[in-house]
Amino acid sequence: MNRITSHPIVSPPDGRREVGFSFDGQIHRGYEGEAISSALAAAGVSALSSHAKDGAPQGIFCANGQCSQCTIIVDGLARKACVTPLAEGMDLRGLKGLPRLPEASAAFGGAGKRRICADVLVVGGGPAGLAATVELAKLGLSVVLADDKASLGGKLVLQTHKFFGSEADCYAGTRGFDIAKKLESEVRALPQVTVLANSPVVGVYKDRVAGIYVDYRRYVLVEFRAILVAAGAREKSVLFPGNGLPGVYGAGAFQTMVNRDLVRPARRVLIVGSGNVGLIAAYHALQAGIEVAGIVEILDKVNGYEVHADKIVRMGVPIHLRTSVISVEGEGRVERATIARVDEKWRPLLDTARTYEVDTVLVAAGLSSCDELYRQALDFGFLAITAGDAEEIAEASSAIFGGRISALSLARMLGQKVELDESWLSKREVLRSKPGDRLSRDPVLPSASWEPVFSCREEIPCNPCTTVCPTKSIILKPRLGSIMDLPYYTGRDCKGCAACVAACPGLAVTLVRRIDERWSEVMLAWEFLVDFAPGKLLPLLDKEGTFLEEAELLKKTYFKRPRTTVLTLKVSASNATRASGIRVQDEAATASLPEARLDLFPEEAILCRCERVSVAEIREYAEANEIRDWNQLKSIRVGMGACGSRTCSSLLPQLWRSMGRDAAAPLTLRPLSMEVSMGDLVNEGSATQAGASDASSGRGEP
Amino acid sequence: MKSCDLVIIGAGSVGLPLAWNCAAKGLKVIVLEKEASWGRGQNRAAIGGIRATHSDPAKIRICRESIAIVSSLKAEKGFDVEWRAGGYLYVAYDEEREAAFRKLLLIQKSVGLDIDWVNSDRVAALAPGIETRSLRGGTFSPGDGYASPLMTASCFHKLGMDKGVDFRFGESVGSIRLECGKIVSIKTNRDEYGAPLFVNAAGAEAADIAGLIGADLPVHPDCHEAGVTEPVERFMEPMIVDIRPDNESGNYYFYQANTGQVVFCITPRPQVWGMDKDNTSNFLPLCASRMLELYPRLRNLKVRRTWRGMYPMTPDGFPIVGYLREAENFLQAVGMCGQGFMLGPGLGKILSEAILGGSRPSKPEGSTEYGFVFEELQAYRKFDGMELLK
Repeated sequence: MNRITSHPIVSPPDGRREVGFSFDGQIHRGYEGEAISSALAAAGVSALSSHAKDGAPQGIFCANGQCSQCTIIVDGLARKACVTPLAEGMDLRGLKGLPRLPEASAAFGGAGKRRICADVLVVGGGPAGLAATVELAKLGLSVVLADDKASLGGKLVLQTHKFFGSEADCYAGTRGFDIAKKLESEVRALPQVTVLANSPVVGVYKDRVAGIYVDYRRYVLVEFRAILVAAGAREKSVLFPGNGLPGVYGAGAFQTMVNRDLVRPARRVLIVGSGNVGLIAAYHALQAGIEVAGIVEILDKVNGYEVHADKIVRMGVPIHLRTSVISVEGEGRVERATIARVDEKWRPLLDTARTYEVDTVLVAAGLSSCDELYRQALDFGFLAITAGDAEEIAEASSAIFGGRISALSLARMLGQKVELDESWLSKREVLRSKPGDRLSRDPVLPSASWEPVFSCREEIPCNPCTTVCPTKSIILKPRLGSIMDLPYYTGRDCKGCAACVAACPGLAVTLVRRIDERWSEVMLAWEFLVDFAPGKLLPLLDKEGTFLEEAELLKKTYFKRPRTTVLTLKVSASNATRASGIRVQDEAATASLPEARLDLFPEEAILCRCERVSVAEIREYAEANEIRDWNQLKSIRVGMGACGSRTCSSLLPQLWRSMGRDAAAPLTLRPLSMEVSMGDLVNEGSATQAGASDASSGRGEP
Repeated sequence: MKSCDLVIIGAGSVGLPLAWNCAAKGLKVIVLEKEASWGRGQNRAAIGGIRATHSDPAKIRICRESIAIVSSLKAEKGFDVEWRAGGYLYVAYDEEREAAFRKLLLIQKSVGLDIDWVNSDRVAALAPGIETRSLRGGTFSPGDGYASPLMTASCFHKLGMDKGVDFRFGESVGSIRLECGKIVSIKTNRDEYGAPLFVNAAGAEAADIAGLIGADLPVHPDCHEAGVTEPVERFMEPMIVDIRPDNESGNYYFYQANTGQVVFCITPRPQVWGMDKDNTSNFLPLCASRMLELYPRLRNLKVRRTWRGMYPMTPDGFPIVGYLREAENFLQAVGMCGQGFMLGPGLGKILSEAILGGSRPSKPEGSTEYGFVFEELQAYRKFDGMELLK
C-alpha cells in the first residue's frame, strides 16, 4: 500500500474506516469516503482506463474534477474517480472504450425542481471566495457560497507549507491548511450564508440563474442578483511527446494525493516548471518520502521565489534551467523522462539530452484562471466580478484581500454605500507583487551571542520573522516601504529563542553563535521527520546545495504553532554562517542514466486530452484547411470532450504561435461545465419531498 | 469589384452544398459569410436529423435527394460525416397521436415513402428501455437517419474548395446595388461583388438581407435549445420524436449519434421569437424530465453540453425557394424552419440544376423537372396551410 503513515506536518485523520473494494476484479482496501482516485493510487493502480479512440492507457491528470481523464466504471456507472468517494464493496472497473448505459430498472420517478435565491452567488470557497463571503455577509447581503470540494479552502487545503505575507493581514507563517480551517469556520458561523460544499456550479444562464450540482447528486437552481466568481485556476497542460501517459499529471493533483489524502503515488518524480507550484511540489514530495530527480525550467531563471528554490536545492534537488522535457515514455505508464537544454528558440539541443528513470512527471507549467462563468455572466449583462486566481494568478494571501475588495465593489454595484478600507488596496498590491530585486547582504561574523543570519535576498512580500521576534530585534530595512523589504538584525537583543527560525516560510533564517575558536552552534528549521537523536551526524549544505560538513546534532526543539522543528548543530566556525540546510535526498536520486535514450520513439504530444487529439493531427488539419476559427478543429474533435475544452483551449494559442500563425477565433464555451446525469438534473424521485431544499438556510424557494 | 457567375450569401447548411454543386458544374462561385468559418449560424446548432418523411411532395423530394447525397459522402467522397440510417420513430402513447399518425401514414405511403406503423414490441426493440406503459406503437421510417452537421458542413466546404469556390469569411453584406429590378452588385465590409445571379442563403438573417432591396420576406427566427450527452455504447437506433405537447413545451426529439452521444432538442411553448443564442436555466430540467418520462433508461446518461440556435420560421412552416419581385436575379433559399441541415444538400443539387438549366423568375425550375418544388415553395404563396410534421 502506497500510504504515507508518518508525515512531518500532516497527520492521518483519526477514525477512518477501512473498506474493501475491487478494481478489475482485484481486491484492494482503502478508506471509506476518500476519493476513489486516491484509493487506487494507494493500491498502486496508475492506468485506470483505456481510451475509446486508440486504447491508450489513461491515468489521472487533474485529480480536481475538471478534466475527466480519471473516468472509470463505479458500480456500473461511468464516474470521475477523483470526485467520487469510496464505499465498502465498490465494484470498480477500468473503462475500455465507451461505457454501457445500464438498462432501466424502474420507471421514471418524477421530477423535483429545486430553486433557491440569494443576493450574491459566490462561486468558489477558496481564500478569495471565503474572504469575499465574510464581507458580503457583514453588509447584510444573503450569500450562497458554492464550492466543488467537500472541504472549503480551495487549494489552501493542499498547502502544508507556511505562508508568506504578513502575520497581521493574512496569516503569514501559518500553514495553508490551517488557514483554510480558520476561514471556513468563520464563514460557516455566518447566518445569512448558505454554504454548498461538494457542489460545483455547472452553468450560468441568461435568466440570471445558476445551476449547481449539489453533492454531485442534485441539481439546484440559484437565482441571484449578482455573482462573484472566485473559482480559482486550473493547471495548464504542457505539450511534450508522452504527455498523455499515466504518470504525467498536474502538480496540484500530486498535492491532492500526497497532502490531502496521504497517498504516495510516486517513487521518483520529475517536475516541469520552476514556478512556486513546481518548487513547492518538490518540497512536498521530499516531505512525503518521494524522490525528486529534478526540476526543469525552459526559461533561464527560476520562476518562483528564490527562497523556495534555495530550499529545494539545498535538499539535493537540481533545477535545470533552459531545459525542457523532450519525451516521456514507458510501457503503459511513465518509466523514463528525457530532458535536454534548449536554444534561444526553445529548440532542444539533442547532444545535451539526459534520460532519468522516473515513474511520474509533474506538470507545473503555470495556471490559467477559471473565469468562464464570469465571462458568461458579463455577456448576459449581470452584475459580476472576479476575485482571487479567477481574476489574476497570485498568492493566496493576496487573494484574501482581493476577495474582500471584490466583495465591496460588488456591494457597490448592488447599490450599497460602502467604505473601502484604502489600506486593503495597497496591501493586495504588495501581496500580489512579483519578486523584486535581489540585494546582496554583508557577511555575518559569528560572535559569542546569538544572531540571526538571513539567506533571503530577494524582495518578496513577507515579514513573519519581524513580528514573531519577542525583542523586536529584526526589522525590515526600508527601501520600498512595504513588507517587500528585506529583514535585517538590529544588532542587539537576540536571545536565541529561534522563533524567527521556526516562523520563516522560506526556511531562510538561521541563528548562529561562536562557541570557541573552532566551533559554532547553528540553529536551523527542519520540516522533515525527526527520526534521529542528538549526537547524530547530519550532512550540512550551503545555500547552493554544496556539501559543507557532517555536523553533529546537539538539540532538537519542536515549535508547536508553526509545526516546525529547530535543530541545533555543532558546526565548524568557518562554515557556521554558510550553513543553510541538511541534505534530504541522496545524489543517486538525481542521477541520469549513463546514456540518453533517444532510441525509444515516443508517442505524439496530446493536445486535447478528452478526445486524444495529437499535435500532429492538429497540424495536419491546419495545413490542409485555412483555420480562422478554432471551432473548425471540432471537425477533428478538439474541444468536444467532457472537460468542455477547458484544458486544451489554453494550449491552442501556444501551438499556433509555434506554427507561426495568428491566433484564431476562440472555442465557444457553453454550459455545462461539468457533466450531470439526466436523472440528477431533474432530481428524480425528490418530488415527494416538495418544498424541501438542500439549502435550508437560504431564503427558501420563490 | 470582383465578378463571378454566382454570389451566395451564407456559408451554412444551404449555402455550402449549393456552392459546391454549382462550382462542380463549372460556375465561378463566391460565398460571402460574416462569420469566421463555415456553419457557424444555424448549422452548428442543428442536431443532425435527416428524414424524407414529410407531409408534402416538395420537402419529400428535396430530402430524398439529401439522404442520397449525405449517405454516399463516405463511399463516394471519402468523408465520414457520421451518417447512420437509424430511421425516424414517431411514438404514440395516446389515441389522438395514433390517429394522427395513421392518417398521415396514408399520405406518406401514397407518395411512396418507406414508412409504416410499428407495434409497441417493435418500438421497444428499436429503443430498448423505452417506457412501454400505454405505448401504442408508432410510425417508423427506416431509410431516414442522422449525420453530424459539423462534419457535413466541413465536408461540403472542403468539396467546394476543391472545386474552386471562393469563400469570403468575415465579410458581412452592407448594401445591395439594385438597378432596373436587377442586382448589380453586393457590397460587404471589405469588397464589392458582381454577378448575374445572387442567392440568399442567409438563414436566420435572410429577411434582413432581403430587406436591403426593400423586400418583405416572411422569415422570422425563433429560438430552440439543444444538448448533447457523453458518448455511450450504442443502445438505440432511431431518432425518437414525441409530438405530445405539455404546458411548457411542444415536441421533443433525440437520437444516438454515431459517436455514441445522445443529441436532444425541445420546442418551447410558447415559441420564443428572436435571435437569442443564450442558454436558459429552464431547458435542461424541462427536456430531461420529458425524455426520462419516455425513456427512463436515460437517467444515468450524463449531459455534456447545451446550446441554443434559431429556426428561421415561415408562417406555414415550409421553406421559401424562388425569386423576388424586387430583383429578378435574386434567388431565395430561405426559411428552412429548422430543417436547413436536412434540406440543404438536396436543395443544393436541385437549385444547381435549375440554375444551370436556365432558372429565372418566370420559370424558376429552368429546364428541369422541379417545377412542383418551386410552385409549392414560392415566395408569393398564401402561407395559409400548416406543416403537419414540423
